[in-house]
Formats: sequence, structure tokens, C-alpha cells
Amino acid sequence: MSDLFEITLIVLAAVVVGMTAGIVVVRLARHVRESRRAALAAGPRRALLAFVADNGETGGDELVAIGDDAWSAAEPAALSLLGKLRGEAHLGLVSVFLRRGTARAALRDLRSRSAVRRARAAQILGDLELRQAVPDLCRLLTDRHSEVRVVAVRALGRIGDPAAAWRLIASLDQPDQVPSLLVTHTLVQLGPETEVTLSAALDHPEARVRVVCLDALGLLGAAGSLPRVSRVLREDPVPEVRVSAAASLGRFGTRSAVEPLTAALAPARPTELRAAAARALGDLGSPTAVPALIELVHDDAYRVAHEAAQALRRLGPAGLRALQELLDEEANRARANGIGAHARPSSGVAHAREALALAAITSPGRLVTTA
Amino acid sequence: MTEDLVRDVLRITDWGIFAYFIALNSSYLVLMVLAGLEFIRHLRRIPFAGADDMFRSPLTLPVSVIVPAHNEGAGIVAAVQAMTALRYPRFEVVVVDDGSSDDTFELLRRKFDLVEVPRVVPGEVPYRSQVLSVHVARDNPEVLTVVRKTNGGKSDALNVGINLARHPLICMVDADSVLDPDALLSVAKPFGDDPLRVAACGGVVRIANGCKVVGGRVVDVRMPRRWLVRIQVVEYLRAFLMGRTGWSRLGGLVVISGAFGVFRRDLVVKVGGMAHDTIGEDAELVVRLHHYLRERGDDYRVVFVAEPVSWSEAPSTWSVLGRQRRRWHRGIAEILSKHRRMIGNPRYGRIGLLALPYYVAFELLAPFVELAALVLLPLGLWVGAVDVEFAWKFALAAYGYGLLVSLVSLFIEEVSFHRYRRWSDLLRGVLAAIGENFGYRQVLAVWQVRGAVGAWRGGQAVWGTMERQGFETVAADAGERPVNPAAPPMETVGLHPPTRG
Repeated sequence: MSDLFEITLIVLAAVVVGMTAGIVVVRLARHVRESRRAALAAGPRRALLAFVADNGETGGDELVAIGDDAWSAAEPAALSLLGKLRGEAHLGLVSVFLRRGTARAALRDLRSRSAVRRARAAQILGDLELRQAVPDLCRLLTDRHSEVRVVAVRALGRIGDPAAAWRLIASLDQPDQVPSLLVTHTLVQLGPETEVTLSAALDHPEARVRVVCLDALGLLGAAGSLPRVSRVLREDPVPEVRVSAAASLGRFGTRSAVEPLTAALAPARPTELRAAAARALGDLGSPTAVPALIELVHDDAYRVAHEAAQALRRLGPAGLRALQELLDEEANRARANGIGAHARPSSGVAHAREALALAAITSPGRLVTTA
Repeated sequence: MTEDLVRDVLRITDWGIFAYFIALNSSYLVLMVLAGLEFIRHLRRIPFAGADDMFRSPLTLPVSVIVPAHNEGAGIVAAVQAMTALRYPRFEVVVVDDGSSDDTFELLRRKFDLVEVPRVVPGEVPYRSQVLSVHVARDNPEVLTVVRKTNGGKSDALNVGINLARHPLICMVDADSVLDPDALLSVAKPFGDDPLRVAACGGVVRIANGCKVVGGRVVDVRMPRRWLVRIQVVEYLRAFLMGRTGWSRLGGLVVISGAFGVFRRDLVVKVGGMAHDTIGEDAELVVRLHHYLRERGDDYRVVFVAEPVSWSEAPSTWSVLGRQRRRWHRGIAEILSKHRRMIGNPRYGRIGLLALPYYVAFELLAPFVELAALVLLPLGLWVGAVDVEFAWKFALAAYGYGLLVSLVSLFIEEVSFHRYRRWSDLLRGVLAAIGENFGYRQVLAVWQVRGAVGAWRGGQAVWGTMERQGFETVAADAGERPVNPAAPPMETVGLHPPTRG
């Protein structure tokens, strides 16, 4: 037993010393590597900055001629520049990458066995906004690694080809899905041309797909889909889908959305839906919603009453006047009952006061006062 | 006959304690290897992590940052300025002034031109105290809200903040924390990547003592000046960074620091908010979430991100450290006692079968075993149950293994994040890892035992005081009051999660 103890101690001491030496070696190695890379990248970085400063008009050939070692040291900075540039400078830098064969290598790497390489390749192709990569990127939407799928979705958004819309929507209806909000953002990046596809997908059997399409339609301001979205708000069996439909209608900004949204305020509807509809009416900005909203300020459900009062605030003078009248009526009633200032305010009054106080801060010029 | 029996019992007990130390340190080592793998995975994915896309997306989930504050006048303005300047597309900061007797509120009112608004406070989660007033910044009412309430403790302050939070994600941050600019983006990212499953996400907390802070940002990471704090740096690396990353990878994370963690608001409301009856309310909330989600049969994840970080000031005196560690261990004991039905219960999956039993065996009981070793080993020597050779080899092996574990954590830190850039800091880290075994661990064990016993005996826990030494601070503007190294002792509601690993 004593021998075993001694052997253990010797091994332990060796590992402790080895670990200490390992820490020092790692630091030294990194120091050497970083110094070498900094030296290699210094020239290309200067050339890159000069190229960008010149809006990509001159210096492209010099960037293409840089040796592979030096370019690989400067490539992270060049890729990060790609995401920040627009217009001619962006096109010029993309052209440099294409001439250096970066896109070709990335397209090849999309079929790599390593998930990290596939994801990196997809990221690069997205940064390059390379349309010819769209079919391959769409294929990655069913990749077995979730992170690869996520990067492919983002890359498709950067490229902005509406042809990818159906594949993106289909990617939501698989066992291991891509994040909904990411797909929504990407669909919006594909632009208004996707409206027909999104509108058609509102009949998709999967609720998650319908929610994504509704959110994207709302963000696109696709008012042409109003009848279909109104139908979803009225008839969809899933409450979350109807909440999304209400939010989308609010973003459309058209007066014809007031009627379906007002119908969604009915007390029999779920609280979340009523709150969402109230919020959406505030987003719409139509004063015709004031009578329906002022009724809701007295609602027992906190979220509904709060959203209604805040929606009235956002509606501007008409909404603020209604809130002030509500306060005045309450004060008159209290006076008539002889309670005066000691009356305990109703929850409706409290919500109205909150909204008016906030309005006094955010837009003091729009405040109204009544007797 | 009796003497023989005593000797045999002591011999067996000493061997048992030795086996316990081996198992304890081996478990740390396993967690560290898992953490190391996770760091490699994380670092390889940085080029396509998509932080910029998340920052630009209009659909990134907005966050309410809740900051409970009690007598935090020394640093509250700088902290709130830094928090409101975080890099995140849409968020609000809700400061809850929990009955401060100093100028915490007055400083905020002056700096941010606060205006009172008659906010209706919904009672979605219970709170005991009285909300006195709600204020918003005149220039930025959507971003900064300050609530004044009567003193009710950290849990109560957080519950008021949760009630007033308007966004679907809530981030709980200590008022004395300094966040990295991308901290909120990083810690909220898992919710965007896996929105259906992620219920909570913890961020790593590092020690700010000795670091240079400019405009509410840590700009130069250095080892603290005092050895007591240097040892805690190594301890934080081992326990907070590596331990929690390892548990996250195992799917058994039960501690998210109250100093920096993000939760889905709807779930926190469903489980009733922060508990008033425990001093370790942050970890208790996570265990309760596990309890609730497991019972519902939900597919969910509680995750941990290792970078970027929240920086927090660690105790620099033995007395303050003692109070802190008593609190932490009391918290562990209370949580394990409150949720004892989950321990070993297969219904709660890895939490019930792995994480909580581990916390009982290697967190709650560890200081008891440490102290038992300090008493029983000399006793065994005295009665002749073990010989001198066994005793010194025992001590060398047990503490040597502990030292190895600390060095492994320093090695992984060096390979992955290497925040401490100076060679002198590296040397200090190694020396602190050695020094930890000579007195620090033993004194800590005494406090921890007292904390656990305090929990079992019941009675009101006392927060005690935290003497702020302050960071090396460069004020962002002339009107800001820098953190004063000579600041008087203050009450604090800050609590780090009670954990060792």
C-alpha cells in the first residue's frame, strides 16, 4: 500500500510540475504566434484600409497579389470589414475575395465533414452575398447540426434572394427546427417579393410556421395580405397565432385593420389576445379605435388595461383627451359622492394617470387639458 | 479491546476521508475537462456566432435588466451609466432602491433627471414591502426606471423589479457589477438560438479587484494586490467558470449567479418569482424552475455562457469573506433542505439523480469532511491508528490533488480566454493556487460549517456588511463620484451563488 502511495505522489508531483510548465509553454506559444501573425497582417491591413478608403477603386490587384500566409493573417479583419461596408467599397472587396478564390473554397467547404467548416463557409458566402450559393445554403437548412442550419439561415438573409423563402418556411416544419425569430428576420431581409409566399403559408398546418409568416408580413408592412391576416385573427384555433396576427395588423398601419382588431377585444377572447389587439390598435394610430380602447382601461386584467391605456397615449391628442376625460369623470363622481381627494382610485384611473404622466414626459406638447 | 476498536474505527475513517478527497477533486477534474471541451467548442464558433446579426435584428428579444440596490451610493451612478450603455438592440434598466438610507436615489435623480410617474405595479409575483414611487429618466423614459420601496431584502426588491419589467427576458444584475459591453448580447443569445427550450442562462462572474475600470468598463485585467483576493480569483476560475460550464454541458446546472443571469419572465412569474424564505434566492429560483419544468414534462435547458463576463468586487478582508461564505453555505443548506424531495428522485432527471446529490455530497458536506480530517488525522496519529508516514502522505496527496485541480483551471483559462496578460499575474495565480491550501481552505471550512448549522437551526439570516475597496476607477466625467477606496462600510444585498464547483 505504501508503494502505491509513493507512486501516486510521484505521478501527482510530475503532473503538477507538467501542468505548471504547460501554462508557461501555452503562453509563450501564443505570444510567438500572435507576434508572427501581427507582423504578417500589418502590410495587408494597410493595403485593405487604403483600398476601402479609396472606395474600392484602386488597390484591388495588390490585395489579390498578397501571399497566402499574410492574407490568412489579415483575412478575419477583411471579413469583418465586409459586414460593415456598403456600395462600391463592398463590391470591390467582394471582388477581391472572389479573385482570391475564397468563394470557391467556401462552396467546397459547404460539403465538409466538419460542422465548423460548413458553418464558417456558410458565413463567408453570406458575407460575400453570393447568389449562386443559395441552392447549397438551402440544402444546409436540413443539416444535422443546428449551428450550421442557423448560419445558413443568416447567410440566406444577407444574400436576400426571395427564391429561398419556401425553403426557409419548410425548414420550420422539421423535427429539429431553426429558431423562429431568426427565420422571421431572414424572410424580412428577402424583401416584399416574398409576400405571396408568406401569405400562402398562412394555411400551413404547423402553428409555428403561421406565426413566423404573420410576423414577417407585419414587419414587411404587407397590407395586401390584410384580408387573410384578418381571417387568421378571427378563425385560427391556436391563440398564439392569433396574437401574432393582431400584432401584424397593427404594423400594417391601415385603417381597415381597426375593425378586425376591435372585434378581438371582446371579453370572451383570451387575455393575451386582447392585450395584443389593444397594443396593435395603438400602433395603427387611428383615432377611431379610441371608444373601444377607453372601455378596456377599466378591464380587470392588468395587461389588457395597461396596453389599452398605453395605446391611447400613443394615439396622440384623441387618446390623451379620452384618458383625461376618464380622470375628470372619476373626480366628478367622487365629488358627487362627497369623498373628494380621499377616494381610492379605480384601476382604470390608475392606468390613465400612468399613461398621461408618461405622455407628459415623452410628448409634452401633445398634452390636452380639460375642465 | 476498546483501544483496538477505536484505532480500527479511526483508521477506516481516515481512509474514508482520503477516498472522499480523491472523489471530490476527481469530480472537479471531470467538470474542468468538460468545461475545457466547451471552451474549445465556443472559441471555434466565434467567427460565425452572429453577435452582430443579433444586435441588428429588430426581432432580438428585448431584456429588462433588474438592479436591486441598497445603499449603493458609492457606485450606483457609474453602474447605471454603464448598464444603459450596454450593446443590445432593445432593453430597459429597472433599478429598485430597496429602502436605502444613503443618497442612492438622490444621486440617480440628479444624474438622470428622474421624473415620478404613477406606475401601476402588477402583483404578478408577490412582494412584501411598499412601493413608494416609480421614476423614469426624463430623456430616456423607455430605458431607465427607478423604483423606491421600503426595505424588504434582495428577493423582495427583485420581485418588485420583475413586476415592473416590461420585456420577455429579465436579467438580474448586482448594483456593484461591471458588465462587459457585449455581456447582455452573449447571455441573451441562447434564447434566440434555442427559443423554445432555453429557460434561463447564467453568465460568468469574475473578480474585479485590481482591475482598471474606465467609464464603467473593465479595460485592464489584473491580479488583485491582496493574496486573500488572489486566492479567490483562482477559486472563481475553478468553481464559477469551469464548474458551471461543466455542469451546463452535463445538463445539470442548478446555480445561476444573482450577480448576472437572464431568465424568461413568463416562467419566473409562473413559479412565483424569488423566494423570500432563503438567503440563496438566486440558486433557489433555478432549482424551482427545474422542479416546475420537470414536473410539467417540458423539454428545456438551463445554460451557462463563459464569455463575456460580469465583474464583481470580492471581499478583501477575512471578516467580510467569512460572512459571505457563511451566507453562501447557509444558502446551499436551505435550498437542499427545501427541495429535498428532488434529491435522488428519478422524476427530476439529471437534476434529481446527479446535480443535487452531488451538491449534498461535495458541496454541503465538503467543509464538514475537511474539518473532520483536520481533527481525526492527528487523533489517529496520537492513538497509533495511523503512522506518521501515512499522515504526511495523506496530506500531500489530498492537497496535492487539490493544487493540481487549481492548476488545471489556470491552464484551461490560459488556453481559452487568457484574460490575465501579465507574466507576473500568471505567477501570482500559480502561487495563489498553492497558498490556498495553507490556511485558507481550513478557515473557509469553519465558516461554511457555521453557515450550514445556522440554516439547520433556523432563525433569521443576517446580511452583514460589505466593505467596498473599489476598483482602480477612472471617472467617465467630472460629475461622477468615483468609487472611493476609503468608503465607509455599507450594507449590501449582493449575494453570490452558494457553490464551490
